[in-house]
Amino acid sequence: MGCVYSLLALGLTIIFGIADIVNFAHGEYLMIGMYTGYLVGTYLADPLIGVPCALILGGFLGFLSYVFLVRRLLRGPPIAQLFGTFGLMLFLRYGALALFGPANRALRVGILVGKHIFKAGIFIDLAKLAAAVIAVFLFALIYLFIQKTKTGTALRATADNKEAAHYMGISTDKMNALAWTIGGGTAGVAGALLSQFFYVSPVVGMVFGVITFTTVALGGFGSIPGAFIAGIIVGIIQMLAAQYTYPELKLAFIYVLYFLIVSLRPQGLLGKKVA
Amino acid sequence: MIGKIFLKLFGTMKEAVSFEDLPRSERIVFSLFVLFLVIFPWIVKSGFARAVIVQFLLYAMYGISWNFIGGYGGQVDLGGAKNVGFGAYAVALMMVWWGTPFWISVFVGIIIAVAESFVLGFPLLRLRGHYFAIGTLCVALVWQELFTFWNWTGGARGILLPIKRPPNLLYMQLDPIGYHYFILFLFLLSLFWLNWFRKSKLGYELRAIKANEDAAASLGINVLWAKVKAYCISAAVAALGGAFYAVYFLYIDPFCVMHLDLSIMIAMTAMLGGAGSIWGPIIGALILIPLDRYLGASLGGKGVLGVDFLIYASIIMLVAAYQPKGVWGIVETLRKRKRKGLYVARS
Repeated sequence: MGCVYSLLALGLTIIFGIADIVNFAHGEYLMIGMYTGYLVGTYLADPLIGVPCALILGGFLGFLSYVFLVRRLLRGPPIAQLFGTFGLMLFLRYGALALFGPANRALRVGILVGKHIFKAGIFIDLAKLAAAVIAVFLFALIYLFIQKTKTGTALRATADNKEAAHYMGISTDKMNALAWTIGGGTAGVAGALLSQFFYVSPVVGMVFGVITFTTVALGGFGSIPGAFIAGIIVGIIQMLAAQYTYPELKLAFIYVLYFLIVSLRPQGLLGKKVA
Repeated sequence: MIGKIFLKLFGTMKEAVSFEDLPRSERIVFSLFVLFLVIFPWIVKSGFARAVIVQFLLYAMYGISWNFIGGYGGQVDLGGAKNVGFGAYAVALMMVWWGTPFWISVFVGIIIAVAESFVLGFPLLRLRGHYFAIGTLCVALVWQELFTFWNWTGGARGILLPIKRPPNLLYMQLDPIGYHYFILFLFLLSLFWLNWFRKSKLGYELRAIKANEDAAASLGINVLWAKVKAYCISAAVAALGGAFYAVYFLYIDPFCVMHLDLSIMIAMTAMLGGAGSIWGPIIGALILIPLDRYLGASLGGKGVLGVDFLIYASIIMLVAAYQPKGVWGIVETLRKRKRKGLYVARS
């Protein structure tokens, strides 16, 4: 669970760090990814095949949102960006409602769905294990891409200083589009992975969207290692809280944790100090 | 001494109801609008239209509450619903437990909301930008989860308020026309409060903070204290709206008075109309609420789920993309253009 949160937070933090915008619709990309996983798993093949499909679809969706909406929003004040992406969120959510109806759905078939291994007293859900492995793998891949390749360096330069990057001949517009594509793609994958052990419904994005926000802010906006660590922490806290206190309140613990941490460290765990 | 306090109070009230500094056209439109609202229940008999107007006024009030901290202060508060919830729950619970009249419980609700905002305001308002927005979101969500979880608040089932017959003023259970005038009164009260705030020292301090927090601090403004004060005023107005919600609908649950969607709706109302202007929240609510209700009523019943929200979302996106300052921004741009035209003509 924590690894999936990390992956989600990664997408959002890339979008935030590079395009400098808070994306309310991030949870809805996840929801679309979950529907992709669900539909592929139910009607076509195994849900695992849904993962690359969701990557492509999510990436495409992120790209479209950037080209048609976000590029315009970036010219306006931050407040307009907030409610522009909020409109996008509503649009995607109710679009899914109109297409798929309000029912909660869950996957029943698939190689890994509902399979467990029981070893040395530890009970492991294979679908969750696979999700964690794929999430960590993708995370590492994107981290390497950003750190090692030329395009990655250009991305980081854009995140550091937009104007300077622009003068160096980097097309910041293309970099923003790339960031949105990666963000949408990773959220799509996270969704496809989640669909193997979590119910799918049009409003599921809301729950995860808020958790993702908290995770990103907890790790520090724009910090990739921060997103990873915060994702793991959030996953663990949620499981522990559900185990040892009231399961209904498990999300409240995450919010309280965020509140406590930013009270002490206003820039998040690994965020850069804001001047 | 008492005379002095009285004079000062009188001066404040005079400031609050005076719109002298605004252009005459705005004052005329506003007067006509209020006149329309006053005679509305006598010319329109449709129960649905009356209900829509009451909700419009309620949301305009929420938007006004957001404008104190979000519009003028530039602090994007995404947790407005918690204050609405405190107001509504105080009225509902005290009536169910002890039969407390509305006029006492509404003040209890406001005091609780203000106290909570005061205590949590200090750590929250130290945060900047997105960290603050998400902090308020988290605080409101914790309350939402707690009020859903606790048994004494009715949990997810909510609370039904006992119905008093005949309608009476003690519990503010009125007939539709009575509700209309009651919410109109509360709406004007909060609008006057915002009008006073706009011209007060605190209002100017907050605008300075919005423009540049560090510069404001270097000018000797106690930034944190000013923000906390505005945050508390915002909480009081929202709690007042919540109290009305409880006596109007006579049923509350965490989904309608504490929910994240409400928090965002509150911010949306003010931002769509134009954050940081006195008419912004009213325009925002005037667009959003009738649109939402009429679209919901005309399309929602035909088995086409979600289409009303698709239209609604498209409008929000269009405004955000083409006029980021909200609808009021359009009016201001037009006015500037006109002025420029005059200037050119003269020279």
